[in-house]
Amino acid sequence: MNNTEPEQTDAAQPESPRTIDIVNKGLAKRYGREKRFKMYGFFAVAISLSFLALLFLTIFSNGYSAFYQTYVKLEVFFDPADIDVDDPANSNFPGLVKKTLRSEFPDVKKRKEKKKLYSLVSSGAAFQLQRMIEQQPELVGSTMTIEVPADDDVDMFMKGNISRDVPENERRISDRQLDWIDKWLKEGRIAKRFNTTFFTSGDSREPELAGILGALTGSIFTLALTLLLSFPVGVAAAMYLEEFAPRNRWIDLVEVNINNLAAVPSIVFGLLGLAVFINFFHLPRSAPLVGGLVLTLMTLPVIIIASRASLQSVPPSIREAALGVGASKVQTVLHHVLPLALPGMLTGTIIGIARALGETAPLLMIGMVAFIVDIPKGFTDPATALPVQIFLWADSPERGFVERTSAAIIVLLVLLVVINSLAVILRNRFERRW
Amino acid sequence: MSKQKKYTREQRGTVGRIESDNPRMTCRNVNVYYGDKHAIIDVSIDVGRNEVIAMIGPSGCGKSTFLRCLNRMNDTIPTCRVTGDIFLDDTDIYEKNIDVVPLRAQVGMVFQKPNPFPKSIYDNIAYGPRIHGLVGNRQEEDEIVETSLKKAGLWKEVQDRLNQPGTSLSGGQQQRLCIARTIAVSPEVILMDEPCSALDPIATAKIEELIDELREHYTIAIVTHSMQQAARVSQRTAYFHLGDLIEVGETKKIFTNPQHTLTEDYITGRFG
Amino acid sequence: MLTRKTKFLLWTLILIFSAGLSQAQARDYISIVGSSTVYPFATVVAEQFGKTTQFKTPKIEATGSGGGLKLFCTGVGIEYPDMTNASRRIKKSEVELCSTNGVKEVVEIKIGYDGIILANSRKAKPFRLSRKEVFWALAKNIPDPGGQQKLIPNPHTRWSDIKPGLPATKIEVLGPPPTSGTRDAFVELVMEEGAKKFDWIKALAKSDKAKFKEIAHTLREDGAFVEAGENDNLIVQKLDVNPAGLGIFGFSFLDQNGDKIQGAFVDGVEPTFEAIAEGEYPVSRPLYLYVKKAHAGVIPGVNEFLNEFTSEKAWGEDGYLADKGMIPMPEEERQAFRTDAQKLNTLNLE
Ligand SMILES: Nc1ncnc2c1ncn2[C@@H]1O[C@H](COP(=O)(O)OP(=O)(O)OP(=O)(O)O)[C@@H](O)[C@H]1O
Ligand SMILES: [Mg+2]
Repeated sequence: MNNTEPEQTDAAQPESPRTIDIVNKGLAKRYGREKRFKMYGFFAVAISLSFLALLFLTIFSNGYSAFYQTYVKLEVFFDPADIDVDDPANSNFPGLVKKTLRSEFPDVKKRKEKKKLYSLVSSGAAFQLQRMIEQQPELVGSTMTIEVPADDDVDMFMKGNISRDVPENERRISDRQLDWIDKWLKEGRIAKRFNTTFFTSGDSREPELAGILGALTGSIFTLALTLLLSFPVGVAAAMYLEEFAPRNRWIDLVEVNINNLAAVPSIVFGLLGLAVFINFFHLPRSAPLVGGLVLTLMTLPVIIIASRASLQSVPPSIREAALGVGASKVQTVLHHVLPLALPGMLTGTIIGIARALGETAPLLMIGMVAFIVDIPKGFTDPATALPVQIFLWADSPERGFVERTSAAIIVLLVLLVVINSLAVILRNRFERRW
Repeated sequence: MSKQKKYTREQRGTVGRIESDNPRMTCRNVNVYYGDKHAIIDVSIDVGRNEVIAMIGPSGCGKSTFLRCLNRMNDTIPTCRVTGDIFLDDTDIYEKNIDVVPLRAQVGMVFQKPNPFPKSIYDNIAYGPRIHGLVGNRQEEDEIVETSLKKAGLWKEVQDRLNQPGTSLSGGQQQRLCIARTIAVSPEVILMDEPCSALDPIATAKIEELIDELREHYTIAIVTHSMQQAARVSQRTAYFHLGDLIEVGETKKIFTNPQHTLTEDYITGRFG
Repeated sequence: MLTRKTKFLLWTLILIFSAGLSQAQARDYISIVGSSTVYPFATVVAEQFGKTTQFKTPKIEATGSGGGLKLFCTGVGIEYPDMTNASRRIKKSEVELCSTNGVKEVVEIKIGYDGIILANSRKAKPFRLSRKEVFWALAKNIPDPGGQQKLIPNPHTRWSDIKPGLPATKIEVLGPPPTSGTRDAFVELVMEEGAKKFDWIKALAKSDKAKFKEIAHTLREDGAFVEAGENDNLIVQKLDVNPAGLGIFGFSFLDQNGDKIQGAFVDGVEPTFEAIAEGEYPVSRPLYLYVKKAHAGVIPGVNEFLNEFTSEKAWGEDGYLADKGMIPMPEEERQAFRTDAQKLNTLNLE
């Protein structure tokens, strides 16, 4: 900044300072403010991200071990004396497992000790053998090496959640059991493997047999119905209210009520569902059908509000352009406004669905907080949902459920990430067209 | 200020002959309100068949507002209220059970701000003919797109990027695209709101040529801020001032011998 | 202008939906509701039953004892539950509700006992408390130690304030919220009994029941008693990091976490499996299963499920329910209730 020159040019109006000088004077302050603002923003993002990272870290470190499960290799002789080939369900498979274990450790004689020995492998082992025979009856009479799941206490021990160092009477694995496990370890017959059961079976009271497939299926059925009902209805309602409805008091009333509904605690929708769908229409309890209906009621206001906002954000010039070439109201909305508003509507819907995915409270009232082993096959089969499963496992006394709770949370988070990425992908797809 | 006698505020009537010998549209005592604001005050005017009428006047005087009355575009503004009679041939377009869809197919409009659809250039043009069923097959559609773009002087620039979005064009190109879109449905009356505001002299000349050409079959009302343009393309001119229609007459007369002080001030550049 | 893809998506959704709806409507599984205390035991039986028989696995909802009985008593028919679990006996009012709704024949099966325990971290010494001392520590208002018959706000901050022998640590007890059955049992079996150690309050229990309940059931709100939520695993973890704290649990949590927590002696008795089974440990409650007789033979598997539940391998001394932490009944009691279950002898509250 050369000081002499401006003075000459400014000679005409010597007393009024030049704009550039005023600007320069204030510049440092302005940039300082800008910098601070950026810094606040950065910190806000950093803090929330670090909380998120912490959450993920704790959940992951607690839960990843549930994706592994301890298995024991047993030499099983399918004794024809124990097995009724024609009626495997009535055969003594638990006895067969016990016999196998006894033959491993022939020196175990006392009744108490035998019981300890039997409790090393999961009660699921007998069912596993039963299923094998049901599928291949010709195995009867042969001897095979079979991997069966270890009991949850053994599993916990193998994962380091039960320590050798505490006194015997305080841990769930006795010294004698430790000896047996050590022998198996030396022979390489006990090892951790990927836990497929966790992804392929329904709920169980034995941690080593419990899986999330049932809850996941329930969630999928419920949310599919929710999506199927709430998206078209929500979009149609928003479109009507925003584009076609007359402006009068009734419509205002409807609007106010929709906004209110969006803020109503979700349990209220559960109560409504109980009163209307179950008690009045006599739909079955604990069914994804009712769950989907209730969650639809819950997500509808969210979708309507989001859809209206995104309809409002479509510039009026687009509507004028369409009307100007002679498009009818419906054509204008369907051909021009809706495609522009759709990304926003999709985002709103995904947010609503993601919220519905995490709900337990309304499901409690309609009986979806329940112990259900069989995997639901339809909309009227009894089912739970993922968050319900998490809630139930979190409250189970067995230590094996602690890690499984976290593992189920991981699955829920992964599902949310998938749904949200899907939203982003869909949105980009739609947006790329113009 | 020697012609002071012509201008009295109380004199609500318009100077000049509002009637046309062969009217296509007749407007009588049109008033437009935006809420409480009285934007058009008791305007009566005819738009003749196969004529180009220019509407001029200072910014904010109500030219666009009046133009938008002619195909009921003001219906889209919730606060806007229109009274008076506007006839297209013999039908009152503000009658209760008039269908605006055929009306707007008949009375097309080019808006002041270019507003292409966020779709491809091709679809922008083809959309109107498609919804009205003017085209039977892809070939006819191609033809209509090409001729419309050619007429608007845009074909050369876009012929090999027809699939790109219309919004990716420059401001002037968008303006021509909107003109092409309007003429693609062959409306009988075309309302143009400053169609050349963003165009260079060459493109402007092209559009003016188009207007001249269209006049043979169609009726055109054009709003413009360019006195020269009004003089070049129009047969009649209407001068608006603060919602009033001050003067109407043959373009030549208006520009050489305006009757009203305000008109004179405006066209001689003494008024903003 | 819906794109082809969206249309395709819509149709697949509709197809999935209709496929799901076309499932059979009649109920072919047993529906059980009720207490969340019994839930972990009833579910084990249900799972075992589902796996070893041709019947479907019963569906068990944890609705709480009261909620369960209310649902159970709504009516007879496939839309109503077949059985309900309860961590207390059915009330007279509930029996009446049942019979007004047509549920006239109800089979009552006592299935075992659950112990309520106070536990602290293994890192500290075990507590030895009497129920009176627990009342002194946790009641919001306690009787004036001066001997007058009036209440004063609980002044105790350390255990040693109550009795010199107790540890000089802050009173800090983590327990379940009032919605929990464990909390109900705790106030009933510990706080009420502790309060009754004062004669004038004991007299109140007869003359002014409401007043008595208010004294016995109101727990401190000044931080000495902390409502730690329904999640008992969380309480275990909290006790692990806070050795001075004490937690209130069902026995199965002590059973599963014996390496981290230890049960407090109550009135001189350690809460062991045997002590609860023998009835020596004072804080235990019976668990019940109520069955609609009208549903036996209509819903497939009701009789067979009861057979499984009342078999020795389930509720016996070495049964799998004992493994899960349920305290079995004595031999004769088991025998009696097994007969009730098999013959579907109905309840008759006099
Ligand atoms: N949607 C609206 N709501 C309220 N007032 C409006 C609206 N549109 C226009 N007006 C007002 O009506 C008057 C006339 O506006 P109009 O757009 O017709 O002016 P114009 O003559 O076209 O001006 P320009 O040459 O700047 O385009 C102006 O005072 C304007 O502020
Ligand atoms: Mg204008």
